[in-house]
Amino acid sequence: MGKIFDPTNYSLPNNCLAFAQSPQAIVFDHFVRIYFSTRELDQYGKFLSHVAFVDFEKNFNEIIDISHKTVLPLGELGCFDEHGIFPFNVLKDSNRILAYTTGWNRKISVSADASVGLAISDDNGLTFKKYGKGPVLTASLKEPFLVCDAFVTKFDDQFHMWYIFGTKWISDLLDNAPQRVYKIAHATSSDGIHWKRDAKQIISDTLNENECQALPTVIKANERYHMYFCFRYATDFRKNPERSYRLGYAWSNDLISWTRDDDNSGIAISAEGWDSEMMCYPHLFNCDEKILMLYNGNEFGKFGFGLAELEV
Amino acid sequence: MFRWKKLGRIFNPAELGHGYWMKEYAQAPSVLIFDSFVRIYFSSRPLPDHKGQYVSRLGFIDVERENLFNIVNICKEPILPLGSLGTFDEFGTYPASVIQTENEIRVYYAGWTRCESVPFNAAIGVAFSADQGNTFSKIGEGPVLSFTPDEPYVLGSPKIRRFNDIWYLWYSSGRQWLHNDGFPQPVYKIRMAQSTDGIEWTRLGEDLIQDRLEKNECQASPDVFFYQGIYHMFFSYRYNLNFKDVGRGYKMGYAYSIDLIHWKRDDEKVGIGISEIGWDSESVSYGFVFELDKQIYMLHQGNEIGKYGFGLAELESYK
Repeated sequence: MGKIFDPTNYSLPNNCLAFAQSPQAIVFDHFVRIYFSTRELDQYGKFLSHVAFVDFEKNFNEIIDISHKTVLPLGELGCFDEHGIFPFNVLKDSNRILAYTTGWNRKISVSADASVGLAISDDNGLTFKKYGKGPVLTASLKEPFLVCDAFVTKFDDQFHMWYIFGTKWISDLLDNAPQRVYKIAHATSSDGIHWKRDAKQIISDTLNENECQALPTVIKANERYHMYFCFRYATDFRKNPERSYRLGYAWSNDLISWTRDDDNSGIAISAEGWDSEMMCYPHLFNCDEKILMLYNGNEFGKFGFGLAELEV
Repeated sequence: MFRWKKLGRIFNPAELGHGYWMKEYAQAPSVLIFDSFVRIYFSSRPLPDHKGQYVSRLGFIDVERENLFNIVNICKEPILPLGSLGTFDEFGTYPASVIQTENEIRVYYAGWTRCESVPFNAAIGVAFSADQGNTFSKIGEGPVLSFTPDEPYVLGSPKIRRFNDIWYLWYSSGRQWLHNDGFPQPVYKIRMAQSTDGIEWTRLGEDLIQDRLEKNECQASPDVFFYQGIYHMFFSYRYNLNFKDVGRGYKMGYAYSIDLIHWKRDDEKVGIGISEIGWDSESVSYGFVFELDKQIYMLHQGNEIGKYGFGLAELESYK
């Protein structure tokens, strides 16, 4: 269906100028709210990611409104989410909406660390309050840093989270800064707050051992679980389309063992246009009997996001 | 009421420290008792880098069991590696708490990393020794106790104990970073977690020790031991800001408990304070209490949070 939202056409809260990254949807009766992370430049010339949303008619052709105020403030001094919230994963849970945030905090020897936070909305997702100042999922013995990109859903009354964790920082002469490697993992919970995880990479690599795997999203269809995610090379991925993000695909019958099968992802970069160099940050959701996928294109979503319909 | 008799300084890194990594500081002493000697672990530091920043490294000295002032061995190299790029303990391992069980020797330590908006963050790691405590290796690159919604940053000062087959970890938990005109300072309070294996921890989730100085009082080094039917905690506390000024740095505090959860603070009973002159004339802190050959001792650091080493006191009386 192509690109449906370009943030540079709108006035966004928190002085945000561009980027609408990692679009994620909540479907209401008469409209669809799509959250995304957009960016402000701070006083040091560095980006701060903020959460915003846009409401669409269910045909996704007409925009009803965009958020005019802060959906969720960044963390206070020293907190894990002081320097940005991106992505922002939303889940309806009876009459509340849960958001699993990825909070960013800048460091010295490497650019930043990230952890997963929880925020809760009691006003249909207009605003969220944090469940504490700290994260619900962060570095552990076997997951030393960059625990982020949570996607949470419920199957059979159990919460499942797919997320990523960093395995190493590698030096990169091209960029003159360490580059990260991260992999997809899985956790479960009965309350959405306390998580059990086994710190194992669950999706096999296809590029090489330093493949970066990000933003898993899972949906059930035809008695099988389907996961989309994005993956790229660890270095030289920002400007080189050959090494940048592509969408990957895996399936599972038991939510535990996954078979990677990118050839059957059914979607690929376009020959030209807004998603011709990369595709990233997929998000699957059900809307009126359809399975839809939001995703970003070139430049990691600087100029917005698009929508595709999944035909299983 | 405790009455401690100071016996003097055991180790001064400026005199006896050797190697690039043992130039200044001998902090947070912690003891393992062997048949013929006593091993005192502590954290030391190389000289600071061009920005004045330190890393801290774990080492030990061995002292004669019959004469704790007779140093018989000083370890040559740091005994616990710093973490690799981007990990929680890349820039320091301090303080450390060593424990010996029937099967093994472990160390719990605070690992330090450096941040942009605040100077540092810390989380608690664990490492194991396969050579009688001479060196330690990690079982993972990440921390064993890390941040939660309620304990968002700066987890430090671990003190590991086992009572009745349960593992207990007392530690400091950061509550707030004060802006302090661009020189942020953390507020941290003493907390506790329990475990059946020392790896998976269940936190109590409450501050254990009432504030005495101010709301933003910093509390650290919660050293717990069982003596004469109750649990005793010697901890360290200071004012939050300008703590390098005389009178605002760490002092020794005291609390007691019968259940390890509810603590009654009673600093009047601490029974140890600063000396009139010398290496511990401004500050006495980071106590470690242990029993050796029927005598109770306390190791403690002195001025400038252990820059000039640590010393020993013995328990004269308790009632």
